[in-house]
Amino acid sequence: MKKLYVIGLLFLLMSFTARKQLFLTPKNWPDPWYNFSKNKLSRDKIALGRALFYDPILSKNNTISCASCHSQFSAFTHVDHALSHGIRDSIGIRNAPALMNLAWQKEFMRDGAINHLDMQALAPISNAAEMGSSIDSVVYKLQNTKRYPSLYFKAFRDSSITGEKTLKAIAQFMLTLVSANSKYDKVLRKEAKFTEQELNGYTLFQKNCSSCHQEPLFTNGKFANIGLPIDSMLKDYGRMGITKNPEDSLKFKVPTLRNIEFSYPYMHDGRFKKLSEVLNHYTKSIIISKSVAPELINPLILTSREKVDLTAFLLTLTDKEFLFNREFSYPKELLLNIK
Amino acid sequence: MRFTISIFLIILISYVQTSFAQKYSPILITFSPIIEEEQLVLHKRYVLKDNDTLSIENLRFYISGIQLFNNNNLVWKEKNSFHLIDQEDTNSKIISLTVNKNILYNKVSFNLGIDSLTNVSGAYGGDLDPTKGMYWTWQSGYINLKMEGISSLCGTNNHEFQLHLGGYQAPYNSLQYITLSIDNPKKINILLDMSEVMKSIHLKKEHHIMSPSDSAVKHSNTIANCFKIASP
Repeated sequence: MKKLYVIGLLFLLMSFTARKQLFLTPKNWPDPWYNFSKNKLSRDKIALGRALFYDPILSKNNTISCASCHSQFSAFTHVDHALSHGIRDSIGIRNAPALMNLAWQKEFMRDGAINHLDMQALAPISNAAEMGSSIDSVVYKLQNTKRYPSLYFKAFRDSSITGEKTLKAIAQFMLTLVSANSKYDKVLRKEAKFTEQELNGYTLFQKNCSSCHQEPLFTNGKFANIGLPIDSMLKDYGRMGITKNPEDSLKFKVPTLRNIEFSYPYMHDGRFKKLSEVLNHYTKSIIISKSVAPELINPLILTSREKVDLTAFLLTLTDKEFLFNREFSYPKELLLNIK
Repeated sequence: MRFTISIFLIILISYVQTSFAQKYSPILITFSPIIEEEQLVLHKRYVLKDNDTLSIENLRFYISGIQLFNNNNLVWKEKNSFHLIDQEDTNSKIISLTVNKNILYNKVSFNLGIDSLTNVSGAYGGDLDPTKGMYWTWQSGYINLKMEGISSLCGTNNHEFQLHLGGYQAPYNSLQYITLSIDNPKKINILLDMSEVMKSIHLKKEHHIMSPSDSAVKHSNTIANCFKIASP
């Protein structure tokens, strides 16, 4: 009898461990910033969030979804578009940021206007040049679909649709977008080796870039002015618009460099199409002002050979598994079969 | 057997219910915006001093963190205390508190607005649900108070003004803490005197406030000082 219990217990344990964890902190990474205890992940909530992320019902005229400007194959940014595009061909003022490792991010948007991942989706939903809608009209529309009340029921054991549930479900899907399986990660885990060129690039990176683009997230989550000339049309002063503090003039959030190979164009307004242009900015074109990052007051010195090596290293941050993970892609099974 | 169990259960439940009712009694707090000594009516045109005209089209604000004091000692606080008061919705203006009958108190305190911790802790439901229209979308944060209307003083399109007051971060933290002494502990009727509010807000100059700022903090403070207990 006792034996049976032990075997049963073992089976129970095995069935628990066999189930894939919904969220794992990669080895040697810091603890996530996101408080999961207030929005406990579940398979059904993530699935609901994924459906919402890909559904243009979030926009005023049902044409634009989150994925319109955040497509997976470009690390969830808008490939080839300098500025984000919204309903009726309206054009925003900033480049859509790549989305990954958001559980470690404290502030959102290029200027940190949004203080919590749950609240992030409100901004594009409401912005006239993005989805041009509002959370209350989104909730109203969702209530009147055939599909969503049952998806909400599955996720929350209650088919009523509220702003809170909608935002938390979208946040759950975004939390699962973890990219931690690039060649760089494999090298750190001793599953792969850098080429000599990549290794040289890594050394240059650590010397010149890593104070802001801190490993392992490749951002320190702070805001910095990297000495870009202001765009005379956009007149975007970044972080200062939020804090109203002149010291924050022209500061934008330090973006992650993970998957940088596919997240072009670069900078808050997408002004650079190629990595070489970015590196040339750091070596040649920094405009010194009061708020410029202290690390950049003396421009970086890199030979053209070193730039090539540094680029080779940056390409090791590409995580193909992330870019092509089917759990992050358009949920055909949820969005196509029922109308 | 089943019958006796159900009888027993019924007796038990009714006992628990009556003992609860004996122990606790609801206290009603009513929020009543007034203007020119009368109850404020939305969309009504009021003639104020100097023949200025004013109508309030929308008035909504958050009351949170309700506490009761007896001679400065905290004796009771409401859990999960967030209430959206909407002039358009009579029910929203009455808050029912379930307080132990034996508790004595002679002061009530509450916040006008939403505290900073709640502001940075993600999505909430109920009165805090962003669908209530009291949350800024382009920059995170609750709108503590919305007052919109038409005033002859405003040189704007249709003489409209919109004051959306909020902001939880220094130096623009607009949350206000209000304490009022109570004469009659059973029924607490709190007035918000809009005539007083209008004396301190210069609509001629300030007719649109829609982000955290010095003026938002200043006006929040002004409005907080216009809450008072109705004389019985």
